[in-house]
Amino acid sequence: MQTKRILVALAGTSADPDMLRLVASIAKPAKAEVVGIHVIEVRWNLPLDAVMEPELDRGEELLASAKKLADQTGLELETELLQARDAAAAIVDTAVERKCDLIVVAMPFRKRLGRVYVGRTVQNVYVNAPCAVLAYRQEETR
Amino acid sequence: MIDDEGKDDSTGSGKEKDDQSPSLDKRVTQPGRHVGDRYVRIVRPTGSGLRGHGGRWVATEETMERTGRFGRAWDSALRFLIGKRLETEAEGEERVGVATGLPILASDNISSSAYATEEAMRVLALAGTAALALTMPIAIAVVFVLAIVILSESRVIRAYPNGGGSYLVARENHGVIAGLVAASALLIDYVLTVAVSTAAGVAAISSFVPELHDYRVVAGLALIAVLVIGNLRGVREAGVLFAAPTYAYMIAMYGLIAFGLFRVLSGDPPHSVTPPNPFPPDGTTPLMLLLVLRAFASGSVGLTGSEAVANGVPSFRRPETTNAIKTLVLMGTIFATIFLAITWLSTTIGIQPDLNEQETVNSMMTKAIVGAGTPFYYIVQVTTAIILLLAANTGFTGFPRLASVLANDRFMPRHFADVGSRLAFNFGIIILALLACVILAAFGGSVTNLVPLYTIGVFLAFTLSQSGLVRRWRRLRNPGWQVSMVINAFGTVVTGTVLLVVAYTKFEHGAWMVLVLIPLISALLYGIHRHYQTVHDALVITGPEQQRVLALPAPVVIVPIARLDRAALQALAFARSVSPTVKAVHISTSKASAQEFERRWAQLETDIKLDVVTSPYRSLVAPLLKYIDAMDKSDDRPITVVLAEFVPHHWWEWLLHSQTAFRLKAALLFRPNTIVIDVPYHFEDADHHTRRK
Repeated sequence: MQTKRILVALAGTSADPDMLRLVASIAKPAKAEVVGIHVIEVRWNLPLDAVMEPELDRGEELLASAKKLADQTGLELETELLQARDAAAAIVDTAVERKCDLIVVAMPFRKRLGRVYVGRTVQNVYVNAPCAVLAYRQEETR
Repeated sequence: MIDDEGKDDSTGSGKEKDDQSPSLDKRVTQPGRHVGDRYVRIVRPTGSGLRGHGGRWVATEETMERTGRFGRAWDSALRFLIGKRLETEAEGEERVGVATGLPILASDNISSSAYATEEAMRVLALAGTAALALTMPIAIAVVFVLAIVILSESRVIRAYPNGGGSYLVARENHGVIAGLVAASALLIDYVLTVAVSTAAGVAAISSFVPELHDYRVVAGLALIAVLVIGNLRGVREAGVLFAAPTYAYMIAMYGLIAFGLFRVLSGDPPHSVTPPNPFPPDGTTPLMLLLVLRAFASGSVGLTGSEAVANGVPSFRRPETTNAIKTLVLMGTIFATIFLAITWLSTTIGIQPDLNEQETVNSMMTKAIVGAGTPFYYIVQVTTAIILLLAANTGFTGFPRLASVLANDRFMPRHFADVGSRLAFNFGIIILALLACVILAAFGGSVTNLVPLYTIGVFLAFTLSQSGLVRRWRRLRNPGWQVSMVINAFGTVVTGTVLLVVAYTKFEHGAWMVLVLIPLISALLYGIHRHYQTVHDALVITGPEQQRVLALPAPVVIVPIARLDRAALQALAFARSVSPTVKAVHISTSKASAQEFERRWAQLETDIKLDVVTSPYRSLVAPLLKYIDAMDKSDDRPITVVLAEFVPHHWWEWLLHSQTAFRLKAALLFRPNTIVIDVPYHFEDADHHTRRK
């Protein structure tokens, strides 16, 4: 598979740096374009375009640190901030709109009822994305 | 407000629809793949380096990055030399504790122990070698004065924890003039600290590398350049860089002193070393009170630098006051022990100073104790040279900080208050270095020539601040004020006496220059303040009637046109967008060219009226200025001059063009009530277009 455009969903978790390094190792040899997005989920009691300052500040912050990390690994990362009711739908829609052939999502190591917990967003991206999806699960902290 | 079809909502922060002001904050609603799915793209200014939303933006480091090959190379060079840019919030991390503060703020005072003994000896030696026996009593007197100064300075630190030192104390308690006198004295002294310390550092090196003696000015200038770079890297990093050599000096000196004392007390006294050029044994002048006082004044050079801690209290970590006082006491103890021990050992061993400053007393004493050419001799000499250089760093810490305080009080140009990329006062650092270089070169890099200029400023500042505190304690009458007042009153008497002695004995040796400079600099600072005050009075918004933006009538726009070309048409189009009243004016050097220009103008599709001025003396700027004057008198509306300026691709291409617009801008710069608008025209040739693609 020849990857030309990769969409990286940045959630601001501890798994983001590892995921970016992984993306760099895929994108650099393939000379693929990489788009990093962060989706702010807007609650239903607010308008979709509501200005949520703390979330916007956090989003700006994490995109800036992702860009910084990407620069350090020699990866050219274009970043975008989105607001949506459902993060997974926005990730998939953006990937389709930008004609991405790979979506990379990350999940910190979490367990529920003795099983690894994937999370709603990752699961929905898996189910709905028309392109390839790579889910990076962080290793268990010892 | 949100357009569901995916159109821009450029306001994004609840502004009204008819608000046409530009906004960086764009939100675009995009439809999703499924019916009813929507999401909002927050479109930020890409590549601008600005982060934020809703009209509040933060300029990130990206905005500071220069573009172009040379710009990037310059950025890389700066980053290599002075390090990465620091955010303002990092200011707290740039503060220092006692361990780092000691080398930064106390190195000047501690390093004085390396040459204070010699300076006193050099004066006494004029009366013959027997007079050198007075060196020890003079050293004790100097240490006594230092103890008084430290006790008094600790009161200054407690009373003024925000720094500013003598300037602030004198200004608050004696008035502005006294404050400015103290500030001028300190500024001069900081410059001299750099010059003297560098000269002394080079002298220490040339003691074991005699070849350097002839190049001492050049070596001094090079060392000042190194100190500039170190200080541009910021206070903390400068401290880290300079901490090791300061402690190395202390260890080396205490080691040498311990070994010297052991040899003397155990009955194995070292043999004296003869200087390369000894003083005449019988002396050249009789031993009189004046000479003893002069020797005391020269030895008092060791007291310089003790004010730096009080001036730099804000550089310390919390609790600033406690850390500053600890540093002050440590500094005094270290100086006093090294100074007294060196003086005692030198006089006991029988060391004499060198007439031509070719070898220092310190070097000869080390040779006598541990032997010439031994590794320990070189360790002592190298660490001494380094600490003498670091003493100059006290000037680099004090001058920029004091200058910034003065600049914030509008007594010095604003640039001195500007904080550089590493949170250092870059302008002050560079100006200090330049002044020190000039002085060092002017005095041929000689410590003895420079020392008479030294110490007057610092004792004047001490006396003013001590007496200022006496007035403060009397005024405030806080608990225990009587004790503080007695300490500071005693400090005033002691430092005032030393000031008089120093000024009297060193007057003809160069101190007169400082005494002339202090009032001149004070007057200059006062003049600068008056200017800023006048400007402030003219600019400040005083009442509610001034709190509104006036609606001015559209101006009369004058567009000087040299040639009818694309740049001129662009300027005319812009002028038309600014005002309905536009006048084009062409200055022609002959009637024939004027007629030709009018013929071409007639072919232009425009209703803008043209005036043609024929200038038979071929001058362009002068007739145009007279034309603008005449237009100004005939119309009450403000005059705006729109200039068409052709911009070439490269800087060197500027040389090929006449720069008429630039000359006009320069000529109109000081014309009152004239707005000058420059309309640049960046041309696109085929070659350049292809390259850009």
